[in-house]
Formats: sequence, structure tokens, C-alpha cells
Amino acid sequence: MITLTINGLDVKVEEGTTVLEAARFWGIEIPTLCYHEGLTPYGACRLCVVEIGRGENTKLVSSCTYPAEEGLVVRTHSKRVVNARKMLVELMLARAPGSKTIQDLASSMGVTKVRFKVRNDDCILCGLCVRMCEEQMGAKAIGFVNRGYKREVTTPFRLKSDVCRTCGACMYICPACQMRCQGPEPPTTVCGGCLNLSPPCLEIYEDKMCYLEPCVACLKKEAEEKTESKKQQNKTHNENNY
Amino acid sequence: MKREKLKKIEGLRRLREKLAKQRAAKKSWVIISSGTCGRARGSSKVVQAFKDVVKKHNLEEKVNLRITGCHGFCQAEPNVIISPEEIFYQRLKPEDAKEIVMETVLKRRVIPRLLYVDPQSGERITYKKDIPFYKKQHRLLLENNLMVNPKSIDDYLAIGGYKALSKVLEKMSSEEVIEEIKKSGLRGRGGAGFPTGKKWEACRRAKGDVKYIICNADEGDPGAYMDRSLLEGNPHTILEGIIIGAYVIGASEGFIYVRGEYPLAVENVTIAINQAKEYGLLGKDILGSGFNFEIKINRGAGAFVCGEETALMASIEGKKGEPSQRPPFPAQKGLWGRPTNINNVETWANVPLIISKGADWYSRIGNDKSKGTKIFSLVGKINNTGLVEVPIGITLREVIYEIGGGIPDNRKFKAVQTGGPSGGCIPRELLNLPVDYETLTKAGSIMGSGGMIVMDEDTCIVDIAKYFLNFLREESCGKCLSCREGIQRMYEIVTDISEGKGKEGDIELLEELANVVKDTSMCGLGQTGANPVLSTIRYFRDEYEAHIKYKRCPAAVCKGIISSPCQHTCPIETEVPVYVALIAKGRFEEALDVIRKDNPLPGVSSRVCHHPCEEKCPAKEVGKPISIRGLKRFAVDYGLRGRIKKAIPLKQTKNQKIAIIGSGPAGLAASYSLVQKGYPVTIFEALSVVGGMLTVGIPAYRLPKEILNTDLQVIKDAGVRIQTNASLGKDITIDGLFNQGYKAIFIAVGAHKSLKLSIPGENSEGVLDSLEFLKAVNLGRAVNLGRRVGVIGGGNAAVDAARSAWRMRNCEKVSIIYRRTEMEMPAFKEDVESAIEEGVEIQFLTTPTRILTQNGKLIGIECIRTKLGEVDESGRRRPIPIKGSEFTIDLDTLILAIGEQPDLSFLNNNQGLEVSSSNRIMVDPETFATNRKGVFAGGDVVTGPNTVIEAISAGKTAAISIDKYLRGESLKRRYSVTRPSVYVEPVELTEEEVAETKYPSMPRLSPKERANNFKEVELGFSEELAVKEARRCLRCDLERKEEKE
Repeated sequence: MITLTINGLDVKVEEGTTVLEAARFWGIEIPTLCYHEGLTPYGACRLCVVEIGRGENTKLVSSCTYPAEEGLVVRTHSKRVVNARKMLVELMLARAPGSKTIQDLASSMGVTKVRFKVRNDDCILCGLCVRMCEEQMGAKAIGFVNRGYKREVTTPFRLKSDVCRTCGACMYICPACQMRCQGPEPPTTVCGGCLNLSPPCLEIYEDKMCYLEPCVACLKKEAEEKTESKKQQNKTHNENNY
Repeated sequence: MKREKLKKIEGLRRLREKLAKQRAAKKSWVIISSGTCGRARGSSKVVQAFKDVVKKHNLEEKVNLRITGCHGFCQAEPNVIISPEEIFYQRLKPEDAKEIVMETVLKRRVIPRLLYVDPQSGERITYKKDIPFYKKQHRLLLENNLMVNPKSIDDYLAIGGYKALSKVLEKMSSEEVIEEIKKSGLRGRGGAGFPTGKKWEACRRAKGDVKYIICNADEGDPGAYMDRSLLEGNPHTILEGIIIGAYVIGASEGFIYVRGEYPLAVENVTIAINQAKEYGLLGKDILGSGFNFEIKINRGAGAFVCGEETALMASIEGKKGEPSQRPPFPAQKGLWGRPTNINNVETWANVPLIISKGADWYSRIGNDKSKGTKIFSLVGKINNTGLVEVPIGITLREVIYEIGGGIPDNRKFKAVQTGGPSGGCIPRELLNLPVDYETLTKAGSIMGSGGMIVMDEDTCIVDIAKYFLNFLREESCGKCLSCREGIQRMYEIVTDISEGKGKEGDIELLEELANVVKDTSMCGLGQTGANPVLSTIRYFRDEYEAHIKYKRCPAAVCKGIISSPCQHTCPIETEVPVYVALIAKGRFEEALDVIRKDNPLPGVSSRVCHHPCEEKCPAKEVGKPISIRGLKRFAVDYGLRGRIKKAIPLKQTKNQKIAIIGSGPAGLAASYSLVQKGYPVTIFEALSVVGGMLTVGIPAYRLPKEILNTDLQVIKDAGVRIQTNASLGKDITIDGLFNQGYKAIFIAVGAHKSLKLSIPGENSEGVLDSLEFLKAVNLGRAVNLGRRVGVIGGGNAAVDAARSAWRMRNCEKVSIIYRRTEMEMPAFKEDVESAIEEGVEIQFLTTPTRILTQNGKLIGIECIRTKLGEVDESGRRRPIPIKGSEFTIDLDTLILAIGEQPDLSFLNNNQGLEVSSSNRIMVDPETFATNRKGVFAGGDVVTGPNTVIEAISAGKTAAISIDKYLRGESLKRRYSVTRPSVYVEPVELTEEEVAETKYPSMPRLSPKERANNFKEVELGFSEELAVKEARRCLRCDLERKEEKE
């Protein structure tokens, strides 16, 4: 067993566990998209990034691929992480605005607008279908071709595949195939329909953790008081300056 | 030759000694560079020519040829070095071979024609060690490229090759080697700078019976080729390093992952591996030590991302070249899940050096954090392109100016991109930065593999960011959303900015996105991919803003904004491509109409404009820029020859009176624009003549009075009233004008006060100031000028004064005294050339210290010589006096022309106007409004001494502001991208015309014909010449034709 710290909480997990598994085991939710329990972690969508390390020397890593290490300090909802995730969701939304999964993610993170040109590709190249086809269906009918912005999922040489059994597992697992609720609206819409469904909660925990889903409002209150007193402090500080 | 397998270290030693002895018997060598870059410039033919000469004359005994890899100095390829004295011949042709063999090799005579010429001093340099490019380098690795034929292991053995390996096998334990490497302070040369010793230790300690070793030679950065040079030029050093590394960590198999685009490197390394195998330096039981090791070559398929270690390993395994998350690090779980050690080519090359010479010796090179040398490839806008090996910690300035020889054509240095596409741009202010891993990272760039792309003022920073983003968006593997989408989106935003479609907030969005890409990407490519954007925004934010807000591209590069560089660079956006095209088609009258449309003073501009348009003309890349001013002049002269349509007084449609103070170019331009808008306009001129500086400052041999008068007449005919002898402060006041019912006032009184030198004796008899002198000459007043005239200064006023003085009857000798060189002189180049042509003496690098007088009368001047030091804030090199170099010049008259300032003595208490410390009226730079309501100002009184065309531009812009003001609108300016109003179909050139390289040059009076008169020097193009010149135009405007508005 190894011990690591997640959001200020010391937890013990089996060796060989990833940070994501450790967090989920202890009830701490980290949003994911390209992760699936039945498939090899791939680390492509970057949504599950967490901040590791202490002090100045921290960095973001994808929790689905990062192994839990002895003494590792992890923060799943620091300001840096939350801002990064919002930008990532905005990038996803600009590419596949028709997806319910992505629209829901956007709602849950309070992303309400897209500042990039919307390009309705209906795919964010998360690779779930490719891994599903290979690892669970044993078919290897599809894969990635090209690199960079030209990357896409297709069959070898774009020909009709001989090994594909049209099982539909790729579509089953695809996060972009399930359409959002507002089908008829223009493709650029950010629906935000679920924006207010979850109860008010702390957006950023830093080193604090609430164990309940939905959240504990007390922390929010505490945080508010803290910011209030900080404001007060700043004010007096400023006054002193004059 | 069959090589015997060596079974003992002793055998290797004996072989080495034998080879060294054979080599020492030959005293002189002809060392011919024949790397990839040399071959591209024909070195294979040169090599063949040498071989033929030797064979033909049976000189095999006397002439020793050594065909080597690259010598580093790309600029001078193909080159030959004659040892032992190392005579350096450059840019050779096959024909030169015979002469070199006969003269230099056999008779030891130097052939001056083939020597390197220093671009700065113009001197021919005989020996390699004296060439500035080589002088400052510290060539630990690259120097060996000269010593060996890369295809011969015997050559390498003869210079002590595989000695380090013997030492390791014989005397050192693995721990000792690791300790030695650690002590040397060697860090990964691939870019990240991870301590090599630590890396080896981790891999050695990792559990596993099979371990691998990899040499990363997937050098994919545009403009970086040091790894190629090492692999091609000295492959055995790298093999030796790898074998030592393998022995230390216990690997039995190694891979060299080399770019498929490096065929010569692959060839030489393959030969090297085979030769090493023959000697038993690779394979089973190496030198009887019981250590087995094989090396295989993997050729990369050209993906940049495969330089990343995890992607590289995936590629060797036969998978898609995609990185994976670390940990596990390769040292624990690498190739096929086994502990693997990866180092870059240059790192491996350093290993034998450290082992044989010792860590103490090695760690003395470099600075406190990083040891040893680093090879940089110095490319871009730099005089000496090539591979440069320097101690880590050297400053960028030393690399770029002392080794690189500075920027070609004396253009200004702008930035250097270090570390290739994932690096950052480092600006001029940081030239003194030491080059090491930490400092570069702090400055927002990286060391990377060592590319250094130098950029000059003609490089647009937004365009550079776009270029690198385009490279990265194609070369990102596409696995991470942040890297793939993030870079693509950054590219889209930057592209929009470069096309003039940038929005406010774009810079902030870019920064936000770039930081997320940097933070969340999996591998080094994404993590550093944001650097080009972040560093260019950090250091050149104003240039981004110019693109977004003002729709300007200062370097005139971004096509979507500029349309054509000439039109964009012109302060009044004259539609140059249109009128040049019309001249090319023989439609001269229409051409003149196009010029007149934007320019109220076409005659003046056609004579004295400093034509910034020509500076940016792309035709200069293949010869000479189009003579735009010459063509404008042709059109204007054509109009003069024909009947000029007399301007009909424009209809006055508005009744708000406007007062313009000053009748210089700014005042005239403003008044003409306002009359066109229907306002009644009156110009108040302090002098008795109209035209300001145009009349009293510019001599008639540059701007004939009749040309100026024609322009003035058009403006007068349009309905502008001009009141002369009306001086602001004396005859009129601002309040007074408002009281008289003027609703708006434009102050354009120019800069008519000469600055003083503040050295003793300045007020003696015989010392004049240039403006006073020029004014007297221009107004035909008598000037008391002596026989010997000196002029101090380097600006236009100085050259005008000197050339005017030279034209005076009693003047015998005119000398200009200037403290810098001709390169730095702010006066227009053509005028300086004309002055020299006429016989005006220019004392460059000279600064006056004292004015010598006798009885209060000038008799001469004492000067001191200067030399140029560091570049100062103005971007020019600062002159430093040389002690003891004082000398005197005897003079009868001295003219001071060191600068002018506006004379604001007329403003009693500034009349409520804000005035700067240098006596300029402060205005809003966008609208030209002063702090006083209804009062505007422009021209030299705002900017200080400036060009005519800038003054015209200021007048025109102020007129727009005044119109808005009088109509009660907001003064805020709207900016748009540059476009011509019409597109003229291009002319078709014949093939002879395309091949033509002789261009028309402006006919001029000979210097003899210019003496003692003020006749115009330039004579103008004939119709035939003008059409010929106009047909040369490359028509840049056509590239974006589809976006016509």
C-alpha cells in the first residue's frame, strides 16, 4: 500500500493504481472523457488533469495515466486545474458542439461561450472507439491516420474494412454520437441547459475536500467568509497606505 | 583492405600507434569539405577535380587529399583547408583545383583570389584561425571533422580514436565512469538539459536483464543540423560514446534513430558500424572484455514528434510515433518495456572527450550551471551562416555579432529564435543574455537542440509566430486535445491577426490558450509549442497590437494587411502599384490622377520624398527596387509638359472658417484637404514666402522652384487663401483667431531652430547654422562664405548645406564631419553619394572637440577620431573617441547642422498648449488634437525634424480630425487594411524582359555640370525608360485580388 495526499486528504491505495483510480476509490470526482474502465488509459482528452507537487514546483498531469506514488501531493480542483479544464472543454465544444456529453461537461463547468470558430466535426479524437474496437472487440478495424490537425479516425486506407463486424461498439462508446437535447438549434449553440441543475458548490477546493456529492455548502460559506475577511484586510491595508 | 579482429586492448593500442606514425609521416594535407551542405554547393565536383589533378600529374606521393565532413562554415562552402598552416580557400569551383595544387600545395604560395574576405573590414584573410567566424569558437567536437575522413576508421584511430573506450574497458568500473560523467557536468544536448550522469545511473540501477541504448538523431527542427554534421563528419566519436554508455548501463543492443532525410549520415554511420565490427569494437566479446554490444540503425520517416523519446521508442517498436505519459521513464520501462537510455547525438559525442581528457578539464569550460560546449546552427538573416561551437554561457551578442558577423546589408537586428519551433524569440534588449539552459528558459525560450534563427527588421513577428504554429500544428502527433486543438486554434487566431481580421481581446485569448496548452500537454512538443506565441507576445506585444488595432504590419510582410509593401509603407498610402501599372501600360495621365488623388504635393514628393516604399520593394531581392519616385516624377513631368488642367476653385459648402498656421507641407496638405471638403481655409505664414521648409530648407538643385510653385498654384487655385508675413505670437494669436471667428486652428509651424553643439567658440564669426545658411541661399541673399567650409552633422541639413556651399563660387573645399560611418548616416543615401561624387569630403568617425578662433574669428576646428562601440538605444553603434587621435582642420566657415527643434518662443506661456521637454507640441498621436479644444497640430512641430511625406500625412490626417470636430463627431479613427481602389491588369512580359538584369538608372547631370549652379541634378526618366522600369514591377497587390472592397 502506498500513501498519497489528495486535496489535503491522506489516502492509501494499492501500488499500481493510477491517480484517477485512487481519487475515485476515495470518492473524489475527477471529470474524464477519453477514460473508460474497460480500456487502457490513453491520456488524450486531458480533461482529467490534476496538479501534482508542492510549492512552486507543481505541474499538471493526466490522472488517468499517472501512477500513484508514495508521498505524491495531488490537487484535483485547484484554480490552475479548473481554468485549464474550462479551456479544454471550450476547445472540445468548438469542435463537436453537437455532443450531449460535451455540452453536459460544459454546463457542469460553467462554460457558456465559445471564443473559437465553431467547426462541427462531430469527433474529438478521444480514441475510445479505436481502443474499444481493438481491446474489447478484438477487431482492430479502425485507427488513427495522419498527425496534427489532419488526424482522424478511419479504416486502413479508408477502404471498407474486412474485419469490421459492424458490431456498433464504437458508436456505443462514442461521446460525440449522442446528440444534445437541443437538436434543431444551430450547431454553434452552447446549450447550458443543465447549468443550474447541480446545487451551488465550491468550484475550487485547492487543499480542501468535501466527501459528499452533491457538495457541502459549509465549505462554500467558509470560503466566502475567508474572502470577505481578505477583502477587509486588503481594504485596511490600502487605507494604511494612504 | 581486410581488417583483422582485435582480441585485446593491447592490439588496439599497437594498431593505433602504427596508424598515427603513418599519418605523422605526411606533413601537409588538402582538407576538402564534403558534407551534405558542401555537396549541395558542388563540393563533389571539386573533390573529383582534385583527384583528377593529382592523378593526371602523378602527385599521389606529394599531395595528400582528405575528404571530410562539414567544416561548419556554410557560407564558404565548398571550401578547402591546406594544413599544416591551415590556409583557408572558400567558395571553390572545380577549375580552382589545379591552381591550388600547383601553387599552394607544391610551392606554398597563397592564392589571394580564393581567400575569405571579411565583409566588415574588406580584408582578405589567409589562415583559418584568423577568420572571425572561427576565431571566437571553441571547437571541441567540430574541429575533429577536419581531422578525419568519416569513411575511414583508421583515420579516427590515428588521432587517438577509441582511446576512451580502451580506458573504460581496461581501468574503469561502471560506477567510476558514471561518477566521471557526473563530475564533468555534462547535460543532455537534445534540449532538456537533464544531467547525463544521473540518467545513466538510473538506467544502470533499473532492474532487468535486457537493457537498450538509443542515440537520438531525429533532428527535425527547421534550421538545425549539428547532429547531421557530427554523424556525417565523425561517426566514430558517436559510436565510441554509445559503446561506453552501453558498457556502463549494461546494454547489449543499441539503436541510432536517424532521420530518413539524412542519407549521407546514414551512409557514413553504416560504414562506421561495419568497420568497427571488423576491428571487433562492436559485436561479441569486445576487445576481449567479455562485453557484447550491437548497434542497429533505424531510419525515421520524418515526423518531428519522433524526436520526443517516448514517441521515438514507439516508432522503433513499429508503432505510430506517439508519445506516452512519463512516468514510467524510459530508464525504468522503455523500449519493449525494458530499461532504456536515450541520449542525443551531441551528448554521445561529448562522452569520449570527457573520459579521455578528464572531467576536471571538461568542467572548466562553460559557466557555473552548464559545462562544456554547445553547437548552434546560426541561420537566417546573418552574415556568417554555419555551425558554431561555443562554450555554454557565451552571450547572444558574441554569437551573433562576433562569430556571426552581424546582419547583412547593415539592417537592424530584431530577434533571434533559439531552440527551433518550440523555442522563443529573444529581442534586441536581451542580446547580452548568456546562452544556457536556465537563462533561456527564464527568457521564455529554450536551448532546444541548438537552432538559432536570426531575424532582422524586415521580419514580421506575427508572421514568424504563424510560421512556427503552422509547423507545429502539422507536426503535433495529435494525441492530446490540448496540443492538437490548442495549436490549431492559436494558428487560426494568429492567421486572422495577420490578415487584418484581428479583434480586441485576441492577444489575451492567445495568452490564455497558450498557457493551457503549455500546462496540460503530455509531451515536450505541446509543452513548449506555446513558446513562439508567448515569447513574441511578451517581447513584441506592440507589433501584435499594430496588426490588430491599426491594421499595420510594420515589417510590411503580412499580405492580408499590406496588399503591397510600397502602398502600405507610404505614410499617405499612395496607390503605387496602380500608377506604376498604368505607366507600364502607357496610360500616363491616369497615372498622374492616381498620384494626385492621395498626394496634394505630387511635384514636391516626386523630387524629395525619401521613398520608404522602395526600401520594402520585393524587387530588391533579385536586383534593384523599382524606382518608384523616379516613376512618380516621370508622371508629374508628363503632366507639366502637357496642358495642366487648371484647378477650378472648389465650391465652398461650409462656413466654419479654419486657420492653418504655417505653409509647409503639413499646412498645405491640411488646407487642401479641408478646401476639398468645402471649408473656407486661410493659411498664415510667418515668412514672406510660401512653402516653409520646402522653400527655404531644400536647395533648388533637389527641388526646383518652378516644380514647387506648380504644386502651390494648384492649392491656391483650389481656393486656399494665404496670408504671408503673419507670424504667430507677433501678428496673430490663437485667442485672436478664435475671436476673429475661426472655428478650428491647425498649427504646423515646423522645426526651424538649429540646435547648438555646446562646445567652446560656437558663437565666433564664421560659424553659421545650417538653416540660416540654407535659407539665405534659397532666398537668394548674399552669404559670406570662406574658401574652406566645414559642416558638422550627418543629417539631410548637413548634406544640403555642404552641397549648397560646394556650389558657391568662392568655395574651394567642403568637408563634412560626422562621428559615425556612412552606414549610420541619417541623410538620404543618394544625397550622400551625390555629395561624394561632387567632391565633398566626408570625415567619418570624427567628432569635433573645440572650435579654434583667432581674434574672435574662426580659423579651424579640432577633432578627435572615434570608433564604433556597442549598439545604443537608437539601434546604431555608439561612437567612442579614441584617445590621442586629435587633429585639426583649417576652416574659414563652419556650418553646424546637428539637428533642429521647433521654435515655440511665439507661444506666450504656450497659450494653453501642452509642450514637451524637447519643445514639441503634444498631441493625441491618432487624431492630432492638442489639449486645447479646436486646436490641432502636426508636422515637424509635433514630431521634431521629419520627412516631407510624414508631414503631408499628418496634414491630411489632421484635416479629417478637424472635419469630424467641426461636424461634432467623435474624433476616433477607424483603421482598415491597405487595398488599392482599383486593380489594373498586369502587363505581360516577354521572355527577354524577364531575363533582363540591366535596369534603367536615373539620368543625372555630371558633377562638372553641377558646379557653381543650382540646376536640378536628376533629369528624370525618358518615356522609354519609365515604361521599361514600370514593367519590372512585381505587382504584389495582385496576390490578394479576391478581397477587393
